[in-house]
This record gives sequence, structure tokens and C-alpha cells, in this order.
Amino acid sequence: MASVPTASQALQSQATADYVVRVEDLRVEFRTSIGVTYALNGVSLEIPRGKTLGVVGESGCGKSVTGLAILQLVPPPGVVTSGTIGFRSRESRTPVNLLEYERMGPEMRHIRGKSISMIFQEPMTSLNPVYTVGNQISEAVLLHQTGEHKEAKERAIDILRKVGMPNPERIYSNYPHELSGGMRQRAMIAMALSCTPDLLIADEPTTALDVTTEANILDLMRELQQEIGMSIMFVTHNLGVVAQMCDEVAVMYLGRVVEQASVEEIFYDPKHPYTISLLKSIPRLGTNRKEHLEVIRGSVPDPYSRVTGCPFHPRCPSFMPGICDTTMPNVVYMPDSPQHFVRCHLYNDLANHQAVPSGVSNSIGGNGQ
Amino acid sequence: MDNDERHAGADWGEAMSTAEMTIGDGEPLPEDTLLAVRGLKKHFPIRGGLLRRVVGSVKAVDGIDFYIKAGETLGLVGESGCGKTTAGRTAVRLYEPTAGEVLFNDPQMGPVHIEHLTPRQLRQLWTNIQMIFQDPFSSLDPRMTVGRIVAEPFLVHKMLSGRALQDRIAELLTVVGLRPEHASRYPHAFSGGQRQRIGIARALAMNPKLVICDEPVSALDVSVQAQVLNLLEDLQKKFDLTYLFIAHDLSVVEHICDRVAVMYVGYLVEMAPTEELYHHPMMPYTEALLAAIPKPDPRRRSRPIRLPGEVPSPANPPSGCYFHPRCPYAQEICKQERPPLRKVAPEHWAACHFAETLKLQGVPRLSQLPVDVQAAPSAQPSTQAPSAP
Repeated sequence: MASVPTASQALQSQATADYVVRVEDLRVEFRTSIGVTYALNGVSLEIPRGKTLGVVGESGCGKSVTGLAILQLVPPPGVVTSGTIGFRSRESRTPVNLLEYERMGPEMRHIRGKSISMIFQEPMTSLNPVYTVGNQISEAVLLHQTGEHKEAKERAIDILRKVGMPNPERIYSNYPHELSGGMRQRAMIAMALSCTPDLLIADEPTTALDVTTEANILDLMRELQQEIGMSIMFVTHNLGVVAQMCDEVAVMYLGRVVEQASVEEIFYDPKHPYTISLLKSIPRLGTNRKEHLEVIRGSVPDPYSRVTGCPFHPRCPSFMPGICDTTMPNVVYMPDSPQHFVRCHLYNDLANHQAVPSGVSNSIGGNGQ
Repeated sequence: MDNDERHAGADWGEAMSTAEMTIGDGEPLPEDTLLAVRGLKKHFPIRGGLLRRVVGSVKAVDGIDFYIKAGETLGLVGESGCGKTTAGRTAVRLYEPTAGEVLFNDPQMGPVHIEHLTPRQLRQLWTNIQMIFQDPFSSLDPRMTVGRIVAEPFLVHKMLSGRALQDRIAELLTVVGLRPEHASRYPHAFSGGQRQRIGIARALAMNPKLVICDEPVSALDVSVQAQVLNLLEDLQKKFDLTYLFIAHDLSVVEHICDRVAVMYVGYLVEMAPTEELYHHPMMPYTEALLAAIPKPDPRRRSRPIRLPGEVPSPANPPSGCYFHPRCPYAQEICKQERPPLRKVAPEHWAACHFAETLKLQGVPRLSQLPVDVQAAPSAQPSTQAPSAP
């Protein structure tokens, strides 16, 4: 397969940066009775330590599945068919491949909720309605940090205070239904942060919230990130939130990362036609109104079908017949900014002139196994 | 469909009104008003106890005034639970209003008081008013073909049948960017954006004057959202439509609306032309809302104004100005007296005791921003790709 070697290229260029999680060539399939859906077709991305990586894309592009796969939580009938997920915790900097662990084995359970935790879009479905909020937070503390019930309660109240709950002692004994949407999301964040994780995977954490609540939650996440020094993988489709929150951005389309760069480059110097089209299709505050928005023609194709060549070619404004519809484009690094890569045939010229950074070994495969 | 024909046989009786209606504190309505609402209330009872007696009420909409001029788009914004959907539905009597007046200015028939109409008259009036709903998955019957969905208004009103109906369905589907042969398929075969187009075709079937768009794009992906917004704009020009655009996404509202009304806990707190409202808000809640919009621009990172507390419950609202417990500018008077919606500038209404004295921050115009911010790609579209091999 032509696209496979590109994943290791991705590693070589970025191996110097300190990362928490590095996903390489991750493939996930859902085998259903009416056919196989390829949710991830070789995702490679890296989450820098202490920073926020935004993962953006339209629905069905695989952004949530990527987050779930890191924690080995892809629901059946989904299966991870190939790839590696290198994880480097704060304590031991040697990367381990999470996919080598048993899904429900002790190592994975130790990592879940302690080193890597996750918050979801709809807090009501992830909080258990029959336990109090405090009970659910101290459960994680009891499991990973201390055996003392009294101490666990103190810590839980502490973290509730930290996430800005007005009356943490009372909230501790409240049930989830007694809280508003914003408060529930705060409770979710409190639960996720109770063990000071290395990485927080936030899957559309503010999509269900109002703008003023959303702004408060984002503010809170930023503050806590600085305090704890964790990394955040921020999965969202809202480009506004990405611009406000993230340091790096990975743009996904149909189960692949088509462009990754710093937030500055994504918004001011985007390369992939999909990224450019996405940015142009959102109304911009403070501009002339009543002008037509640019649209991306068509819509995301049906997941059961497979498109030959570049998956974006049927909708691409820069479509080149004979090239885009036949071969899958390789990852190309921008010469002037080594962290910025794009998967598009428009930039094939650049790939030929580019020197591959030397002296960097393909680390995770070697060290992790 | 001709309007005269549509209303033939209807006896509008006392609902017909030429009486002057005013808005806010006694302001006459603009001449080309299509819909005007005054003192509109909708209270939902709360029942409790053994006998399910009414023990209180949720004041979802508690006395609002607004008007929509023919051919314009009025945005109705606010946070969830503020009553914007209820306001839209009560205004056209999909919910029976608790109190208030609603004037619909039918171009052929003259002004009609909606609250006085009999059910039969109401059905006729509703051919002029249609709705587009938020969720394109639950607003289409999965067991009807697309053709049947779009045909239903004609069948209900016994207007067209046979060949003429088929032609009209094909025409409507084409107008919204679908193909006539889609009529025989079922909704599940369509994507979210296409389903929203079906919903729009159904709304257009009766040649309405007013379309109430209740969060029409919030369930759609950004690229599809742009397609639907463009379609709504094109249709407005083509068919001379008036929109009441209910939404919570303030960037979308800025893009599509001519005027915007802001709601907070059942009240209208500010109404102004879009430019004016976004650049010179005169009510602190509007300022906070605008500051909270996540701007899609890493060079415009802003710390939002932190509003303490939560949106109060409409079943148990605070005293005075409902916004005072969260308002950074609140004074003693705000706790005691609720400020009425009053005219503070031409076409600009605000409900705040200090509207004129507060110097509130709006969204800066793009042209006022530093040059490096203006240079964002969405402002300067160009691929800047090296030449294709």
C-alpha cells in the first residue's frame, strides 16, 4: 500500500518533540451485517506534552473513534486492525504501545482514568444517575490513589471546588439530575481530572452547552491544564473553539489526518483544499453580511463506499483528473515549517526536494516492543 | 397559488383589524410590518400534589414585543431555555398564548389579529406561515416518501391533485436543490443536509409569506450548514420570503439576519439592526453573549466576560431585572425594578436601566482589526499551492 510508509516519515520529522501519545497508522473497522465500515484508514498523529491538540472534521470522519481507540474503548463490532499507539507517561518516558495490552487487562485499566481520562459530549449519559456526583468522583480516587474513604471524599470535594462548583460539599451529595448542563460538564471534568492524568481526551465537551457556559468551561480547562501540566486532545467540529483552545490542529477527513500544523498555520496558512474550504464555509464575525458563503459541494460520502485515490477528490475544488482519483496522496512536510504536514497531490513537488531529517530513529516501534 | 383564491370563503370577522398597534413604549409600527407581537405571554402550568392542582407556572414567554418587516430576516437568539422557540410558536398560535396581541399583516387581506381567529380561520392563515425545524431526522416521517411529505400540505388544504400535484412536487424539489426523482425515496436515504432541504421544500409548498426557521442549521456539519444558509438566502430573494430565524449560533445569525432580538428568561432584552447590535450592544447580557462567541481566529483569543451563576429558572425568576444577579454593572435599582423594553436609538430597543450610560463592548468590525488578523485565509481565499505536477 502506497500510503503506509508515510506514517514512519511522520515520526521521523517529529520525533524530537516531547509527546504524550503518538498514534501511528491506526486502522479501525466496524464489521456489521450490511458491510464493513472503515472508520480509520491509517491515522497518524502526535499529542505534544502539556499542549492541546485539536482534532477537527465533519461528522463521520473518525475523530471520536480515534479518541476511543487510544483508550481501547472502541465499541463492538469495531476492531482495531493495525497500528500502534505509543504512550509516554510522566514517570516513565519510555513509550509503551497501548495496543499490546489486553483490552480489559490490568495495565489498560491502570491507565484508563489515571494516566489518560476522557470526557464526553453529553454528560448525562456518562454520569451514572443512581450514584451521587461525589460517589462517582471518589470511585476513581479510591481506585487509583488512596484506599481511605475519608481522604477520597476530601479529594473529591477539593477537585469539585477547583472546577468552580459554587458549593462543593453540597454538590458532593447531589445526584446528576439535580445539576444543570454546565454543572454536569464540570462534574465530568472533575472526575476526569481527579487523578491528574497525563492526557485528557475531550470529545466535543462543550457542543451541548450554551456559548456563555461554553466559554466558562473552556476557560476552566485552560486553567487546569496549566496547573496540572496535562495534555489535551480536543475533539470538536467547532473551528471557533479550536482557534481559542488549541496549540496544534489535526484536520481529519474520512478516517485520515489530511493536515496537521500549529493552530496559527492552520488558520492563516492552510494547505489542504479541505482545510481551506472548511475555513471559508464558516461565517466570520464582523464581516460583510448577506454574501454567499463558500460551500464544499456534495457531502461526506457514505461510509460503506470506498473512494479510490484521495478520498476528498469528488468534492475538491483543486481536483486534478488522473492523479487525485487514482493514487492516494502521501504525507508532505512543508519545507519552511517542519511540523506542518499535508496529504495532498498539490504539494508533491515539495516532497521531492525535501530532505528527510536524519539522525532520528523510528522510535516507538523499537522502544515500545 | 393565488392569495385571493386561498382566502375565498373565509370570514375573518372581528379578527380583521385596522386598529393601530404599537410596540415597546408606544412606538408606532413600521408601515411594512408583516408580523407584530405585543405583550405576548405563554405560561405553562406546573401541577403538583395529589389532585394535580396547578401550583405554579413556568413563564416561558412573559410579555415580549417585536415586529418583523416584510422581506427581512429577524434573528431571535438566546441561550437554551430562554423561550425563543416557545416565542416563535406562540406568535403564530401553534401554542395558545396566555396573553398578548399578534398582528399578521396579510398583503391581500390587510391586518389580522391572530389571537382572535377561529380554528378554521387559523388553518387558512397558516398557509401563509410555515416552519422549518431543527432536527432533520425527527421532523420527517420515516414511513412517507419524500414526495408524500412535500405533497401533504396540498392534500391537507385540498389544493392540488393528480398531475398538477406531481409537477408541483418536482418543481419544489428542484427549487431546493434536489432532483424530481428523489420524490419516490424515503427520508432515510438522505443525508442531514438533504433532509433539511426536504423540510424546506415542504415549508415552501404553500407559497408562504413568513417562514419560522427554528435552528435550521444547528444539527448540520459546517460545510453543509453553509449550503443550507445560502439556499435560505436564495429562496428569500426568489420568493420574497420573510424569516423569523431562531438560533443560538451568533456567527450564523450575524450572517443571515437583518435585525436581531435577544431573549433572556422569557423576556426580550434587546432588539436592533444586526450591525448595530453586534457593534454597539446596549444591554450587558448581549455584551456577554457576544464576548463568549468562540472566534475562529487564533490571533483573536479573548477572555470571555465571566458571568457568575447560572441562567435562572423561568419558574422561579429573580426580582427586578432578571439579569441582575449575573450582571457586572448591576446597581440597587436593578434588584427592585424590572426595566421595560424601550427605544434607546433609532430602531434600537433595550431593556436596561443604564442602556445609555454604559459603554458596552461589541464585536469589532473586521476592518478595525489589526492587518495581520484581517489576513486570515477565510478573508483572502487562495490556495497558494505550488503548480500541479
